[in-house]
Amino acid sequence: MSGFGWPEGWATLGVWVAAAATLLSWSILVGARRPFLWAQRLLAGMLTGYLALLAIREVLVPRLVAPLVSDPAGNPLAVVALVLGGVLVGSPWLPRWMGAAPVAILVGGTAAFALGGAMVGTVLPQIIGTVPPPGVGLASLGGGLATAVIASLVLIAFLHGAPRSAGMRLLGGIGRWLILGGVGVWLGYLVLARIVLLSDRLAFLGTEWLGMGR
Amino acid sequence: MTERRWLRVRPGSRPTLRDALPALFVVLLAVATLVGGSVTIEADGATDAGATGLHAALDAQGRGRMLVAFDADVGTYAEVRPAVRAAFAQLVRDGASLSFVSLTGEGRALALAEIERLRSGGVEANRLLDLGYRAGAEAALVDATRSIVPAAATGTLADALRASGASVGAFDAVLVIGGSDIGPRAWVEQVGPRVPGVPLLAIAPSIALPQASPYLATRQLAALVVGARQVADYVAIVRDDATPTEARAAVRITDLPPAAFPVLLGIVLTLLVLAEAAARPGAAGTSR
Repeated sequence: MSGFGWPEGWATLGVWVAAAATLLSWSILVGARRPFLWAQRLLAGMLTGYLALLAIREVLVPRLVAPLVSDPAGNPLAVVALVLGGVLVGSPWLPRWMGAAPVAILVGGTAAFALGGAMVGTVLPQIIGTVPPPGVGLASLGGGLATAVIASLVLIAFLHGAPRSAGMRLLGGIGRWLILGGVGVWLGYLVLARIVLLSDRLAFLGTEWLGMGR
Repeated sequence: MTERRWLRVRPGSRPTLRDALPALFVVLLAVATLVGGSVTIEADGATDAGATGLHAALDAQGRGRMLVAFDADVGTYAEVRPAVRAAFAQLVRDGASLSFVSLTGEGRALALAEIERLRSGGVEANRLLDLGYRAGAEAALVDATRSIVPAAATGTLADALRASGASVGAFDAVLVIGGSDIGPRAWVEQVGPRVPGVPLLAIAPSIALPQASPYLATRQLAALVVGARQVADYVAIVRDDATPTEARAAVRITDLPPAAFPVLLGIVLTLLVLAEAAARPGAAGTSR
């Protein structure tokens, strides 16, 4: 049996389909556009279908339709969600202010959770964590100081619109370079992840598909 | 126009070596992967504290109830997959139960594959629970601190969780499998302050390192394995520790971490491609 509980023959078919899709995607490397487009459309179509199925089976039916069908009076929030969802879907044909209401709730709710969580879960604990307790070594003190200096310089870089002195402009410039450095580090990690992914696909073709090294 | 339908050839020009560079890149990487596949990024004697920390933290759970927050993404999962499977092997060996929940579509797809892998590997049904997908990102996390067991979930594990409150607090620990979207940060920010008694452990790709490692320093994360190096360290610890019985049957912990040679070659080739792109006429910073 395969990992999905399929019969053995189906597992082999799955490996061949995966190998074919990988090779179709890589066809662009030698300039072949059409096979690449097939793979691209296959991916887009399957992804759309999967997400639609996920939304219907794991969100809409169990969390909206089922509660409304079984006990509409006992689920007032589901009724509100249905109305807001309906307004969102019908927004092209409704007055603008009506369509804006569910979007505003969505954006406001997301921002409230994200900002509240960032403040309580990250900013405050990290500030407390940066403050060295009495009697710590120089290395820890230096680390805390470096964090405070870098954070201050980056914050100064975000000061836009206000008149700034030459010194503040210099500090803001250093802050911008620090941001660029951070982005560079992030990009480096991203490249590493993609190289590992590519290597993993090659290993899949070599071992699972061609049976080398088994 | 001399452009053909199938192959992209610049009008009036022959294919050059530069056109073949991307394909050459993949061929070289393929050779490196197949030739150097057994040379993994191994511990160099000084095993990383992140790897030993996760091993110890999972060991401490014993036969506990573990919530697996599975939100890996396909772009980075290859990097952490060996550590994830090794963690499952360790938990299965110790008798823990695993309940899976996902907040991203990609995470849900990968979680389903891993659940099926565990089931087909012989893990008992009463030790696996699929809590499904929860839409709403941060809001869903907050909701999970109140209720996480869906009405459709059945079995002894689901009943036991309901008896303990059916929320994140009903678990002994949370193992966060992070990706580039939802990961350790979201769990620390939304769940940590609301359910402080449940330790958060995490496995994340290297892209999450700058973001996640400060939480380990402040003890908001009880353990963190991040990046290919720590993944290799952790897999080595579990492999040495495992008995050739249940753990090996449940999940193949022989899944090797990323091989060192192709990754190194890939980095060198990427730098060459970047240098070539920077040296091209019209590149940013050069006159057109």
